[in-house]
Amino acid sequence: MNIYPHPVHSTLSDSQLGQEELKELLAIAKQNGGEFAEVYIEHTVNNNIGLDEDKISSARRGVDMGVGIRVLHGEKTGYAHSDDLSLDKLKETARVAGLIASGKAKQTDFDLKKQKIPSYYMVKTSPDRIVPAEKAKLLWKANSTARDYNKSISQVYVSYSDSNTEITIANSEGLLVNDVQTLTRLIVFVSALEKGKRSSGYAYKGGTLGYEHYNLELATELAEEAGRMAVAMLPAEDAPAGEYPIVMAKGECGTFFHEAIGHSLEGDGARKKTTCFWDKKEEMIATEIVSLADDGTIPGARGSINVDDEGTPGQKNILIRDGKCKGFLYDKLNAKLMKTKSTGSGRRQSYQHYPIPRMTNTYLMAGKDNPEDILRSVKKGIYISQIGGGNVSPTTGRFVFSVPEGYLIENGKITSPLKGIQLMGNGPDVLKNITMVGPDLEISGGGTCGKDGQSKPVSDGNPTLKVSKITIGGAKVRG
Amino acid sequence: MDYKKIAETVVKKALKLGADEAEAYLENNREFEVNVRNGKVETVKQSMTKGMGLTVFKDKKLGFSYTSDFSEKALEDFVEKTVQLSQIATPKPWNGLPDLKKGKPRDLDLYDPSISKVENNKKIKVATKVEKIALAYDKRIKNSEGGWFGDAESEVFLVSSKGISRRTKSSAVTFGTGVIAGEGDNMQSGYYGSSKAHFKDLEDIEYVAREAGKRALEKLGARPVKTQKVPVVFSRWAAPSFWSGVLSALDGDSVFKKATFMTDYLNKPIASEQITLIDDPTIPRHIASTTFDGEGKLARKNTLIDKGVLKMFIYDTITARKAGVKVNTIAQRYVYKGTPSGSLLNVIVNKGNVKEENIIKGIDQGFYVKGLRGSGTDVPTGNFSVGASGFWISKGELAFPVDGVTLGGNTLELMKNIELVADNLEIRGGLNSPSFKVSELIVGGK
Repeated sequence: MNIYPHPVHSTLSDSQLGQEELKELLAIAKQNGGEFAEVYIEHTVNNNIGLDEDKISSARRGVDMGVGIRVLHGEKTGYAHSDDLSLDKLKETARVAGLIASGKAKQTDFDLKKQKIPSYYMVKTSPDRIVPAEKAKLLWKANSTARDYNKSISQVYVSYSDSNTEITIANSEGLLVNDVQTLTRLIVFVSALEKGKRSSGYAYKGGTLGYEHYNLELATELAEEAGRMAVAMLPAEDAPAGEYPIVMAKGECGTFFHEAIGHSLEGDGARKKTTCFWDKKEEMIATEIVSLADDGTIPGARGSINVDDEGTPGQKNILIRDGKCKGFLYDKLNAKLMKTKSTGSGRRQSYQHYPIPRMTNTYLMAGKDNPEDILRSVKKGIYISQIGGGNVSPTTGRFVFSVPEGYLIENGKITSPLKGIQLMGNGPDVLKNITMVGPDLEISGGGTCGKDGQSKPVSDGNPTLKVSKITIGGAKVRG
Repeated sequence: MDYKKIAETVVKKALKLGADEAEAYLENNREFEVNVRNGKVETVKQSMTKGMGLTVFKDKKLGFSYTSDFSEKALEDFVEKTVQLSQIATPKPWNGLPDLKKGKPRDLDLYDPSISKVENNKKIKVATKVEKIALAYDKRIKNSEGGWFGDAESEVFLVSSKGISRRTKSSAVTFGTGVIAGEGDNMQSGYYGSSKAHFKDLEDIEYVAREAGKRALEKLGARPVKTQKVPVVFSRWAAPSFWSGVLSALDGDSVFKKATFMTDYLNKPIASEQITLIDDPTIPRHIASTTFDGEGKLARKNTLIDKGVLKMFIYDTITARKAGVKVNTIAQRYVYKGTPSGSLLNVIVNKGNVKEENIIKGIDQGFYVKGLRGSGTDVPTGNFSVGASGFWISKGELAFPVDGVTLGGNTLELMKNIELVADNLEIRGGLNSPSFKVSELIVGGK
């Protein structure tokens, strides 16, 4: 494999922000009497290559580097950040963050102890060491495979990206943590065109994975899967509008649970009483076959974290067990205000943001129903192979999701492909209408979740399941 | 730091390393943000950020990098890696920097020097007050998502090896609130805010607070209706989302790839004659205006749809050269972290001459759309399908709140079926439209 001979230069390692300097910054941040101070140092290198219309259309690289300083005082957060790593500028940043409090410092000397952390990333070869020309081979392979897949394939777009983030977190409770977070992803999109009908398909692999997980065989596999989906959807008819039972295919429908349920179980909304589940702890909010987990410790998954962005180790949290709401996802601040502990869910987009409660890898846990029986139980309904983008209000739980690949179910069998399916309803209702869950849980490659203007990598998953009724918005009115 | 000099140095260094052309786009920003909730300050955030994007062309091959690390060593590595990157790209005959006229950008009064002088306490007071008034608006309002105030100043430098050197400064200021009405299974949130380039132009605090309260209350008890075909009014709150879907189908590169349903419609009617849609980023003091775009082109006004006829697709320099057309629209950047791409900044749909209330009065049974979940238009096919909320119209009046329905149809048919355009255009953001009535559309519900 073709790699750079030397590690890439980083100003961060030159900046000599050692333990003494970190202690000094924490002391300055707390000098106005703030209860808690934290320094977050980040250096991220992003690489991306795109192939479009048989050409490498973009080759990009980006460096984000900076320090964010946070001071907590009661319910208040003071935050300031700087992309200048000189000690003077950082001292000023610490001072500004500390202005949220007013009073005298209670403690000015900290003993920082470096924490040992587990590793859930599957990284042997750092992708930032691989030269771009090597990565480009994956794209060319996927492109030619997809184009050869079927004569109806009219456009192919392939993208490879990786990000390599080094973080250091120090806080006034004495925590000192380093982590190196690597994310990689390869995506293939195709469009098909035949007799004036258009369709599209996609496939991807991604995660906290090293470059050793990427090779030409994988590129081939993804290109064929994207091609299969586009060709399958070519003859799709307009989806019928109205209320139907649905079956969700394993693995690729977890986004639904992340968006429509997970966001309503985040601790900031629970504290503010603004989500539909805030007062439902220990109450039945779903049928008893429903269990939902958020697990930051799945090896190699895109949402996995050795530590969250406050230095708390990643963990597995059960949000719903056997239909009962078991709790919420917390960062340190919301946990403290709710008199509980952080669940390792304090995440931030970058040093420019303060942490908020976020999901990691969210999935509906496995059940006992035979997937074939699940399908057979539906006389007329909709089969959701993959769920697409959604829009959800965490206050009401009301959602709309598009479905890039879906089919009609007739007499227990998958029949014709459908386009323009929109799933509509609200999260709490769907939880009460889940009547069958299979044992075949699969975690998908995941994506990027946005909340309060911050993006974060996540993944999700689900076993085969049945929702007894849900509203389908489609272009065809039922006659 | 002398940012202009840094940009110039980087461009020179790229040429020295073998680039045929180079362009640096550098931003220096200051931001402040405060959030209060239930009368108490929750967060105060202050930030100073800078960053630079570098575009190089070598042998008609494009390389791009960005960095927020301006140390000498890092910048050297940055330029080297960008030139290296260009070497794996495929050469394209249309690649290269734009040919720009040298002229001086117009002063559009987009920077308010007084913003940086407003004291933090005053900003906190605005955020506190707007939330307080919204909470007190009605006793059914039980909870708050908070009040906020934020302001930002941004300085942009664009330096290219074609002899262009531009600089601009702009400001933005915003405040607003979100409140929650109802309880238990019947909670609804309502948000409203005001965003302007100048502090003095912000809307009245009481008005903003009341609008947020009203939005939460009016949705209480919203329910779906039966699936049916009826006249539909897109309010001026929902119309911008709809137009954003239409505009995404006008992307010039998608036309080149025949990947949009609009491909064959240039100079043909696509909408009712009452629809004229322009992009005008030259309105003074407006938050969606700009003096020059992401490529350094001076801002100008363009007409995209003229009395229902499609006049123009959206291009940047590179996609326009590729398609063999003259560049017309604005090219925007996702801050310094991206290359420019064809876009629109301040879209305005011209107003009609009917009062919105008269449009509603003329409908026996219909749907008044206040909010859309998404834009609805599927670009390849033109199919239209989107989640919507609003009010049911019965006998010429708004009868009850509706949520959990979809609107479905075909985008072109929908635009041709626009019967009436209201006179209630208000230029508030980057996408502005009056309300309009569509003769009929499928409202999908139970």
